[in-house]
Amino acid sequence: MIRLIVRRLLWFIPVFFVVTGITFVTMHALPGGPFDKEKTPPAMVQQMENAFGLNRPVYEQYFIWLGNAARLNFGPSLALRGKPVAGFLLPGLAVSVQLGIMALLFAFAVGLPAGIIAAYHRGRWQDRTATLVAILGVSIPAIVLGPLLVWVFGLWLDWLPVAQWEPLTEGFWPWLSHLILPAITLGAGISAIVARLTRASLLQVLNEDYIRTAHAKGLPRQLVTMRHALRNALIPIVTYIGPLTAAVITGSLVVEQVFAIPGMGRYFVTSITSRDYPMVMAVVVIYAMVIVLANLSVDILYIFIDPRISDAE
Amino acid sequence: MRKFLWLVPILGLLLVLAAGCTAAPAPAASTGDAAPQAASGEPITVRVSTIAEPSTLDPNLAEDTYSITPIEQLFLGLTNLNNETGVPEPELAESWTVSDDGLTWTFNLRKDAVWSDGNPVTAKDVEYSVKRAVKPETASPYAYVLYLIKNAQAINQTVLPTDTYDIDTLGVKAVDDYTVQFELEAPAAYFESISSMWTLRPVPSWVIEEFGDAWTDPANIVVNGPYLLKEWKPAEQLVFEKNPTYFKKDDVQIDRVELDVISDQNTELALYESGDIDVAGDNAGSFPIEALTRIRSDATLSAELHEGPRASTTYVGFTMTKPPFDNVLVRKAFSAAIDRATMVKDVVGTGVPATQFAPKGIFGAPDPEVGIASDVEQAKAWLAEAGYPDGEGFPTVTYRYFSSTLEEALAQALQAMWKENLNVDVQLESMEFPAFLASTAATVPVEEMPEMWRLGWGADYPDENNWVYEVFHCTDSQNRPCAECTEADELAKAAGRETDSAKRIEMYRQVEEMMFGDEVRVAPYYHRGFTILAKPYIERAYPAFAPPNWDTWRVNQ
Amino acid sequence: MLNSAAQNATAAAPLRRPRSLLRDTLQRLTKDVFVVICAVYLAALLVIAIAPGVFAPVGYAVTDFPEKFQPPGTVATQGTLAGHTYWMGSDKLGRDILSRLIYGTRVSMAVALMGASISFVIGITYGLVAGYSSKHVDNFMMRIVDIIYAYPTLILIILLQVYLTTLAQKPPDEMGAFGQLVVTIDNASGGLFFVFVAIGVVSWLNMARLVRGQTLHYRQQEFVQAARVVGAKDQRIMGRHLLPNIIGPCIVAETLAIPTYIYTEAFLSFIGLGIQPPLPSWGSMIADGYGAMRTAPWVLFFPAIALSLTMLAFNFLGDALRDALDPKTRK
Repeated sequence: MIRLIVRRLLWFIPVFFVVTGITFVTMHALPGGPFDKEKTPPAMVQQMENAFGLNRPVYEQYFIWLGNAARLNFGPSLALRGKPVAGFLLPGLAVSVQLGIMALLFAFAVGLPAGIIAAYHRGRWQDRTATLVAILGVSIPAIVLGPLLVWVFGLWLDWLPVAQWEPLTEGFWPWLSHLILPAITLGAGISAIVARLTRASLLQVLNEDYIRTAHAKGLPRQLVTMRHALRNALIPIVTYIGPLTAAVITGSLVVEQVFAIPGMGRYFVTSITSRDYPMVMAVVVIYAMVIVLANLSVDILYIFIDPRISDAE
Repeated sequence: MRKFLWLVPILGLLLVLAAGCTAAPAPAASTGDAAPQAASGEPITVRVSTIAEPSTLDPNLAEDTYSITPIEQLFLGLTNLNNETGVPEPELAESWTVSDDGLTWTFNLRKDAVWSDGNPVTAKDVEYSVKRAVKPETASPYAYVLYLIKNAQAINQTVLPTDTYDIDTLGVKAVDDYTVQFELEAPAAYFESISSMWTLRPVPSWVIEEFGDAWTDPANIVVNGPYLLKEWKPAEQLVFEKNPTYFKKDDVQIDRVELDVISDQNTELALYESGDIDVAGDNAGSFPIEALTRIRSDATLSAELHEGPRASTTYVGFTMTKPPFDNVLVRKAFSAAIDRATMVKDVVGTGVPATQFAPKGIFGAPDPEVGIASDVEQAKAWLAEAGYPDGEGFPTVTYRYFSSTLEEALAQALQAMWKENLNVDVQLESMEFPAFLASTAATVPVEEMPEMWRLGWGADYPDENNWVYEVFHCTDSQNRPCAECTEADELAKAAGRETDSAKRIEMYRQVEEMMFGDEVRVAPYYHRGFTILAKPYIERAYPAFAPPNWDTWRVNQ
Repeated sequence: MLNSAAQNATAAAPLRRPRSLLRDTLQRLTKDVFVVICAVYLAALLVIAIAPGVFAPVGYAVTDFPEKFQPPGTVATQGTLAGHTYWMGSDKLGRDILSRLIYGTRVSMAVALMGASISFVIGITYGLVAGYSSKHVDNFMMRIVDIIYAYPTLILIILLQVYLTTLAQKPPDEMGAFGQLVVTIDNASGGLFFVFVAIGVVSWLNMARLVRGQTLHYRQQEFVQAARVVGAKDQRIMGRHLLPNIIGPCIVAETLAIPTYIYTEAFLSFIGLGIQPPLPSWGSMIADGYGAMRTAPWVLFFPAIALSLTMLAFNFLGDALRDALDPKTRK
């Protein structure tokens, strides 16, 4: 396993160069620059671009960036003048990770049992109901579900805060209460995927021979499910959720907007639409790292779930 | 039992969630009508929202309203725009005089103003700030408003590092500790308005030299305004507290202001309804029509809604060099075919119909408005006169706008009005904002330009010079419509140098009439409005032309 | 155990198959009334999508500003639509939601079906090849997936959009051969070509990972090894033995991704890549309606219901299809 981890981390190096290179070049090919505003005269824009070295050839700027990145200096933001991008991204990432983990917890806490129940009662009302709820979960986008939850639980019932963020240092309940609605909004779609995938792969696995054998040996049903079937059924879920996890824990623009949460997700979009080049690059690097780690974790999980896969490595 | 063990963790989690929902201590009941700080001795706190994070708190670098609002509370201007009238009044400067030739402006500063670290605020600080804003290294986006100061343009446009400049040739000088003098390139009556702007507010040179870019961090910043910056949590909140060294600190009632970053207007509204914020909509565009419709039909909310004009205009730009819009009759027809009253009432939901560029209240803006009024019959007649009776033979043209929910609605409404009133087909084209700007710049070759596009303007300082001259002058501005120079441009320039107010007003009336009534360089169709919700216990002004002054706000106990 | 492996290996093979795969599948599907209802619903949508003009009471672009936010059942009293009944209410520009919903069917169905097909075909092929190849090839292919994953697609989308709009302003003879081809294809697809491209670039990544993971799992199993022993070619093993075993979760995952495509289209159109307003799509109607949730819920409700019902139909049909295709539940 150590070899797998080392090899995968080494693979990060080419991934890093290709992703940052392509991003850098295409980003600079976008029309408009960070200082183009409705009102700023072109001569001023030129002046500011010179001051930030944006008039140099793109490859030169890329090498300068690489040099700084090697020293973990991702530069000042261009849109948020003079502030280091890390000062925005790191606190944002910390918030997004907490929210993302809660969303995943919710997704699995709801999705797994729903999927198992649906599989056992295949074709009957429990199955249909689970499917119905799951489909609503993926069909209703966060931009609708979020405000709906805010309206019902925040304003009408007044059980939970409407929006905004409280750090854990302000106490457990303030922290949790501010997390519940956004986590449900973020996790709803994933829980639906978990439920539906669990059902599908459980049905598949339940028909396989070792399960039949286990039944034949007279093992109790739930035990068979847990020990044998679920373990194998988890493979597609883990595979599918792996990269999704990366997306979830790095934040979602929509959920952050609806709940006024200072996460990192907003920078995926705003950095591009404000042509904040250093911010775009830092976001891409963080995201690439999280992706590689998430996929590595998935492959390590395979080893535990299905030892035969590790033979392939 | 063992076989159900696997359910335990799942049930446990659900239980925690459920318990959290029901058995939770009810969140501190904050009903809408009572001021949140009933107990005496507690600091009076007001929570305000902003739709976007300030991009900087450095006065020399600020350019957007989200930065200017907090800067207004932290740093004093030479003058202040009165929140009720929009007229410049003394702030740091007690008085000011202009020489007879209109070229030398002398400001006498008050002597009791101090920085929050105890240093006195002197004329040297003003001089330092103006020089810093103009220096090319600073890369200040608003340096151009200072170009009326002697040598400012030459210094600011120095190409570094090949060329050099001498900052001491800049027309600003601290005569003594409390007198600062400006030399202008040409007479400019509007310099009084400019002196209220953030770009030339004094900044603490010793702090900037010590901390560099980080000087505006809460730990380092030194200010001279009514409020101090206590905290700045990125993308979340800025906290301000009353400045004990402010010379009028006894006039400041509110001890603490929290500026929450809430980027979604529906969320902003929900937080206002739940009592989490006291003022909503102050640092944002007007509420979307959906929200406005609901606010107006709600007894409580409608009573707390404050509306009025913002010094800002939205217009349709024409590519005047591209057929068929090279024909002034076509431009007139398209301008007259816009049903401005409906736009304001039903599509935007607030604002004022516009036929001229600068809104009422800007110095020099004609009152009543000049330009082309909405008139369907006249529009049809003009289009027929241009050779397209009932839209016959008119090519399909493109209207380009930038991706925004409001702009999308406006574009569709324009399209429908042109179709219904002129029987012409207009294609809509949405673009992401920076790409949109780049694609409609004056430098874009005409064959790549759309025939029509969306633009807007908001006041930097309340004077017509900032409007007709700085936006549409054929050579001295960006001149996005690519208009050729006419008498109107000369007049706009001359009006800026005129010192007699009555004459200036008349000159600007003519410029507005020529540019938007005769030549129709663009079709202004509405002046934007603000929609602000404030709890009944908040007593404050609703300025149209300036950022709000929190130090004048009151919380009624 | 070997016994079962052989059974698996031959399950999908034509040798012992008494009936055709298609007829068998159809027979299994039509047994369930629920499935038939879903199929009829989807067929009806298809008809509406092909000829929306026949069903829509008024045009999708007809505005009536003073009649904005009218609740369902209101009869318009003023303006261009005076006398018209808003069966599903009116939106913020006073347009008929029912008509817009009907016209929006075409774009949304096209995006749903095309998006799903593109992602399905690319994702399954890529994932199968990666999972079945040597670990070095697999590693390389999956790192490419990582790279595309980490690349901010919004940049590509904006670039495409700018390219297209610049092209659109030019007269045909200045476009160049490639430009003309692009414009022709884009027009032929009703302005959706680049939406398909943008969806195609990213949507297959999850599918590829899913298929690859499943392939890794099944390639070690006895029936695959048995097939290899009897000398089956790689393509045959992938297509005939692996694919039927892994396709269940893939269908489920794919149907669940459809709303993503529909909302992606709405977002792309919003920033200018795709169809332009006032042409509606369900996705853009929902994205437009969320702000009216508390003012005029019908603006949001009807398109959301239409989308959810369609998703339900797709999913129940997908379930049934999965059951019908599963080699192990076949006789």
